[in-house]
Amino acid sequence: MVSCCSVEKLPEEKKDGLKVIALAGNPNVGKTTIFNALTGLRQHVGNWPGVTVEKKEGIMKYREKEFLVVDLPGTYSLTANSVDELIARNFILSGSADVVVDIVDASCLMRNLFLTMEIFEMGVKKVVIALNKIDIARKRGIRFDVKKMEKILGVLVIPTNAKEGEGLEELKKAIANMAEGNVTTNPVIPVYEEPIEREIEHISSLLRGTPLEEMYSIRWLAIKLLTRDQEVIKLVLNYLGSGKMDEILKHISELEVHYKRSLDIVIATQKYEFIDKLMHQFVIHFGEVKETFSDQIDRILTHPAYGILGLLGVFYVLFKFVFTIGSPMQEFLDNTFASLGEFVARFIGNEAVRGLIVEGVIGGVGSVLSFFPLVFLLFIAMSILEDSGYMARAAVVMERIMRKFGLPGKSFIPMVLAFGCNVPAIMATRTLEDERDRILTMLINPLVPCSARMVVITFLAGAFFSDHKALMAVSIYAISLFLALLSALILGKFVIKGEESPFVIELPEYSLPSWKVVVVHSWERSKEFLRKAGTVILLGSVAIWYLSTYPEPIGSGLSYAEKLGKVFEPFTMFMGLDWKAAVSLIFGIIAKENVIATYGIVYGIGESEEALISLMQSAMSDLQAFVLALVTTLYIPCIATIGAIRAEGGNKWALVASAYNLLLASVVGVLAYNIGLLLGL
Amino acid sequence: MLMHVRLTQMREGERGIVVDIQGGHRARQRLLGMGIAPGTKIVVVKSGRPGPYIVAIGNTRIALGQGVAKKIIVRREL
Repeated sequence: MVSCCSVEKLPEEKKDGLKVIALAGNPNVGKTTIFNALTGLRQHVGNWPGVTVEKKEGIMKYREKEFLVVDLPGTYSLTANSVDELIARNFILSGSADVVVDIVDASCLMRNLFLTMEIFEMGVKKVVIALNKIDIARKRGIRFDVKKMEKILGVLVIPTNAKEGEGLEELKKAIANMAEGNVTTNPVIPVYEEPIEREIEHISSLLRGTPLEEMYSIRWLAIKLLTRDQEVIKLVLNYLGSGKMDEILKHISELEVHYKRSLDIVIATQKYEFIDKLMHQFVIHFGEVKETFSDQIDRILTHPAYGILGLLGVFYVLFKFVFTIGSPMQEFLDNTFASLGEFVARFIGNEAVRGLIVEGVIGGVGSVLSFFPLVFLLFIAMSILEDSGYMARAAVVMERIMRKFGLPGKSFIPMVLAFGCNVPAIMATRTLEDERDRILTMLINPLVPCSARMVVITFLAGAFFSDHKALMAVSIYAISLFLALLSALILGKFVIKGEESPFVIELPEYSLPSWKVVVVHSWERSKEFLRKAGTVILLGSVAIWYLSTYPEPIGSGLSYAEKLGKVFEPFTMFMGLDWKAAVSLIFGIIAKENVIATYGIVYGIGESEEALISLMQSAMSDLQAFVLALVTTLYIPCIATIGAIRAEGGNKWALVASAYNLLLASVVGVLAYNIGLLLGL
Repeated sequence: MLMHVRLTQMREGERGIVVDIQGGHRARQRLLGMGIAPGTKIVVVKSGRPGPYIVAIGNTRIALGQGVAKKIIVRREL
C-alpha cells in the first residue's frame, strides 16, 4: 500500500531541469487522448512504484522547450479509499508537478468540478482546466462563458475536443506559459456552512505552527480530518499527539450528531451546492437531459440474458482476433528463431558456447519475442473494448456471477483469455480498477488451462483414455476451473486483504475509438511487457538449458535435470509419478507443451509419437496418466506467465503465484492419486 | 405514498432527489465522488431485476448493484 503523503520520488528527467506537468481528471473524460496529443510518440508506459497501477509519462514539446508530462490515474475524487486515488493525491501533494492539468468533461461538468475543487483545496495554484468534449456539450445545448468561467474559478480554462485536435495548441500554450510562471492564478476555494467552517478554523489553529504547515495546505488537512480520512488522521497524529487528536475527534463526533450523518456526506453535499452556485454564473445554457440511444442499447446489453449472449458474441470475436492472427505470427517467430539458431550454430565451434547461445539465449529471446504479437493484439482488443465503452457493460453483465466468488465482473475477461494464453490474460488484468481485484484475478489466472496445456491434456487423453477422451479432458478442465474459483474465494479471504470493491460503475457513452490512441497505447504497453517479462523468460531458458546439458546431455541419465528429477522422485511418488515425470515437469516450466516432448528425450526416442505412446502406456497406469495431466495443468505457471505476473504485480506476487500453484498441484495430485487407488483404478 | 424511498423501490422512468446515502465509508465516498450526493437529481433509466440499476445524473449514466442501490435514499418526485 502506498502510504499517505510519502513524497513521490522525482522522475529522472526532473534532474535535467524539465518542468513536470501532471494530468488529473475523472475516468472517461478523454485523458488518454489528451496525453497522446500532448506527447505524441514520445512516451513511456510503466508502473507506479510498488503497485500494479499503470504509469504513463511522456515529453511535450512547445516552441523548442520540453516538458515532462505525467498521466495520473483517472479518479472521481482524492480520498484514501483506493490505490489509484492515493497515487494521484500523493503526487499532487508532493509538489512534484509544476502545473496540474485538470481535464474535465464539459457535458457533465458538475461531477467533474468536484475533483477540481479537491485539487484547489490541496493548495495547488498552477492549474489549467481542459474543458474537454466541448463538442458533445455543444450538441446537448450546453453553452459556457469561458472568460467568466476563468474569472470565477480563478485558473485558466481551455475548451478542447481532443479527438478532433481542437484547442490543443491553446492548451499547450497555456501549460507552457503557466509552467514558466507567466500566469497568476487564484483558484476559488469552496466555502461550507458556518458550523463546518468553524471547525475547520479550530483544527487549522491547532495545526498552525507545526511542520505540517510547511508541507501541506492546512485547510485541506482540516477538511480531510472532518471526513475521517484514515491516512490524514495517521499523519496528523504524528505531529499533534493523541491528546489534541482526541479533542478533534470529539468535535467531529459532535458535528456528526448535529448533522445526523457522517461529515463526508455533509461536506460533499455542500461542495456540490457550492459548485452549483459557481456554475450558474458561467453556464449560459444547461441543456436538456434526455434519454439517449445509448440508454436503449444499454437496456439490452446489460440484461442478464441478452447481455450474456452479446458478451459471448463479443468475446468470440475478440478471442478469434487475438489468436487467429496472433498464433500464426507466434509460430512464425518461433520457427524463425529456430532457423536462426541452427544457422548460428554452424559458426560456433565450442560446444558449450554454442549451446548457451543457441538454446539458451536465442531460444530464450525467441520465446519472449514470440509472445509479442499475442500481447500486442490483446492490448489492441482491450483498448478498443475500453475506448468504445463496451468494457463497462461487459463488467455489468458478469458482475452477478463473478461476485459469488468475490471477484468483480470485469475479471471475467482475463479468465476467458487464459484459455488461449495466460500471458496476454495476465496483462489484461490491468483493466481492473481495484488493486485487490487485480492481484486476485492475476493469481488465479494460471489455473485456467491455456492452449499449451490443452496439448498435453489431449495427448494423454488420446494415449490412455481412447474410449473416454472427451470425458477425461473435460474433467481436467472442470477440476482446474473449479479450483480457480475456489482459490478466488480462499485467497480473497485470507491472502489478499481488503474490502471487495462496491459495484458502482460509470457507463460512458458509446463512441468510436481513435485508432491512433489504440495503437500507440498498445504498442507502449507491449514494449513494457517485453522489458519486464523478458528478463525472467531469458534467465529461465538459460537455466533450463544448463540443467539439461551438464555434466552430460539429457537422455544419458546423468544430467543435472535428471538428477534433480531423482531428488524429487520420493516426493512425486506420493502422486504416483516417477523421476521421468519430475524431469518433464521441470521442463514444462519453460512451456507446458514440453512435458510430453521431454518424455521422448528421457526415453531416448526423439519425436516419434507412436513409440512414445506405447512406451508410456507400458510404464504408466491410466490413473498415473490422469494425475500427470492434472498436475501439469495446475503446477507452477510457465516461465512466460511468471514473467507476466512479475511485470504486472512485481516479484512478490510472481513468487506467491508460483508457490501457491505448486502447493495446490501437490495437494490435488496426491489426493487424486490416492483416491484413485482406493477406488481400485 | 411514501416520499422517501430506497432507490431499489423506484420504477423505471421515475425521478427523484437523493436525500441520504447509507452504508460503509468506501461505497459512500465512491458514490459521492461520482456525483450521487444528497441534493442530486436522479432518474432511473433501468430498474434492477433483472440485472443492475442504471441511473442518470445529468448526462452521466451509472450502473449500480442491488447492494449499493439499497443504500441510496431518494425523495420521489411525483
